[in-house]
Amino acid sequence: MSDIMDIKYAASATFSSAKGLYDAAGKVKQEGYTNWECFSPIPVHGLDAQMGYARSKVPRFTLTGGITGFFTGMLIVWFMNEYDYPLIVGGKPYFSPIYPFPVFYELTILFAAFGTLFGMFFLNRLPRHNHPVFEHPDFGLTGDDKFMIVIEVDDPKFDDEETVEFLKRVGGESVQLIREPID
Amino acid sequence: MSIDSSSNTTAVSSFSTKLLAGAILGIGAGLVGLFQGLQSGDKAPFLGWLWGCSFWLSIAIGMLMLIMIFRVFNSKWSPIVRRQLEHGLSAFPWIGLCFLPLLLVAWFGKDQAGILWAWVDSTSPTIEVSSIITVGEDVLHQKKAGYLNLNFFTLRLVAYFIIFCGLSHWLRKASFSQDKDGDPNWTRLGSKVSAIGIPAAALSLTFGAFDMFMSLEYQWFSTMYGVWFFASGIRAALAVTILLCIYLVSTGTLKGLFKQAHQYDLACLSLAFTVFWAYISFSQYFLIYSANIPEETFWFTIREIDPNTGLRSGWFWVSMGLIFGHFFFPFLYLLFYRNKVDAPKLIFIVCWILAFHLLDLYWNIIPGREIAPGAFVGYEARSVLGSHLLWGLFTLIGVGCLCAWAVLKSFQSGIAEIIPIRDPRIRESINHHE
Repeated sequence: MSDIMDIKYAASATFSSAKGLYDAAGKVKQEGYTNWECFSPIPVHGLDAQMGYARSKVPRFTLTGGITGFFTGMLIVWFMNEYDYPLIVGGKPYFSPIYPFPVFYELTILFAAFGTLFGMFFLNRLPRHNHPVFEHPDFGLTGDDKFMIVIEVDDPKFDDEETVEFLKRVGGESVQLIREPID
Repeated sequence: MSIDSSSNTTAVSSFSTKLLAGAILGIGAGLVGLFQGLQSGDKAPFLGWLWGCSFWLSIAIGMLMLIMIFRVFNSKWSPIVRRQLEHGLSAFPWIGLCFLPLLLVAWFGKDQAGILWAWVDSTSPTIEVSSIITVGEDVLHQKKAGYLNLNFFTLRLVAYFIIFCGLSHWLRKASFSQDKDGDPNWTRLGSKVSAIGIPAAALSLTFGAFDMFMSLEYQWFSTMYGVWFFASGIRAALAVTILLCIYLVSTGTLKGLFKQAHQYDLACLSLAFTVFWAYISFSQYFLIYSANIPEETFWFTIREIDPNTGLRSGWFWVSMGLIFGHFFFPFLYLLFYRNKVDAPKLIFIVCWILAFHLLDLYWNIIPGREIAPGAFVGYEARSVLGSHLLWGLFTLIGVGCLCAWAVLKSFQSGIAEIIPIRDPRIRESINHHE
């Protein structure tokens, strides 16, 4: 088994209370770390603000999708009924913003929903089938009664010893380096 | 309640006196208009009166529906907001009273009985295709006479207000009594009243809209109309609620209680009902446009063109104003998060919505066909500006002052705490978080 190689992925620290996690998260942010994450078995209100997260960017994808849908609907009706194959239906004009409005707005909703779903996938870098943290024994505890902070090696401020020391200082109980196996 | 100092109380009571004076002056001026209209056979003051009252009625109905919706959903965030709405309900009996002059004229107006609702008087002139006949001769009225007759109409109008006032009474009682004894059964009673009250009030407001506004042109009919009135009322009520809560935060009364999360939720509801209003209003237009039946289309035609010349009239611009000002602009504006959570930005858009709601009611109530034998189509379409606007503004201000006075009285009476302190949901409401 000795020939299995691995690389450092991150440093982790567990906490026993939501308050411990919340306070530590504030300190991690203050210290200037940028590439890190919190894990919790329950929703902790205000944690996103404590971690310095801005609001999600998903709504931008939704809006873009909605506007695209609206004009796609218009284009479909205009192309089919006015340009490619002009046809009078029910005495209505070839193209008007009124009679085909249901088409515009249904496509607005459809494309806005697509924008939301795929925007969320894109921003979360999904689909992703595995994550190094899954291998970490402490990770299982965050589904039960432990809270955890993980600071990744990719973080510019990361340092093997200092980061581990820092996590202990902010109240981390089980502080470890997570290694990602490579085969 | 604890923040009341004696100077504050005097300031409030002098403001209350001013409101009452405003109510008397505004309503007095409106009544002078009605009297003068009765003398000269001018319909304008009556239309103005109906418009002025309808604005406040729609807000009160919206508040009533919101309370009942909060109750049946047992929502945890709403109790703080619900209490402010419950004070708003105290305006209902006064609004009911304001509709009385119109009913009295219909009963005792003799040859002018049909001055506002032409169908009240079977000798009123009306239009069939383009010939002038009387209401009594009109088959479209004959077929509806079983429903649209003065006795049944009066009975219904009284019933609507009994339902509105009765529900208000019980909802207020259930909520205010709980402040004193903390009995959770009051919450159950509130839910039960609401479960019965939602269909009862929905039917009342639907048929109320049919009777009071749609029957102005009794030949026209739209099943969407009641839903339109509901959507409008909720939008206006949400706007007033947001203004009221933000005001109470600024005076310190609700400071720290009414939080960003509450405001955000109310603003989201505002956005939802903006879309709903557009959906309903557009559907009404769309179905009539698609079917293209003259007895329905004339209603939109007189809101777009002068039927005698075929040219665009002032109403065209009002209609466009509603599409873009009452839907597109508030819709796009409210999509953005910051516009919902920044109080000044939200205050701007809810005032905008209220102004356009007033215009929407104006657009629904004022346009109509004035019988004119010399005209090409037998009638003239009423114009946008006219004495109906002036008389309407008097009534609007007068009834508004009266409602504000009644609501202020309820706030000041000490009948209830600032928030429902013993509501089972109150802790969750205070701790409400986005």
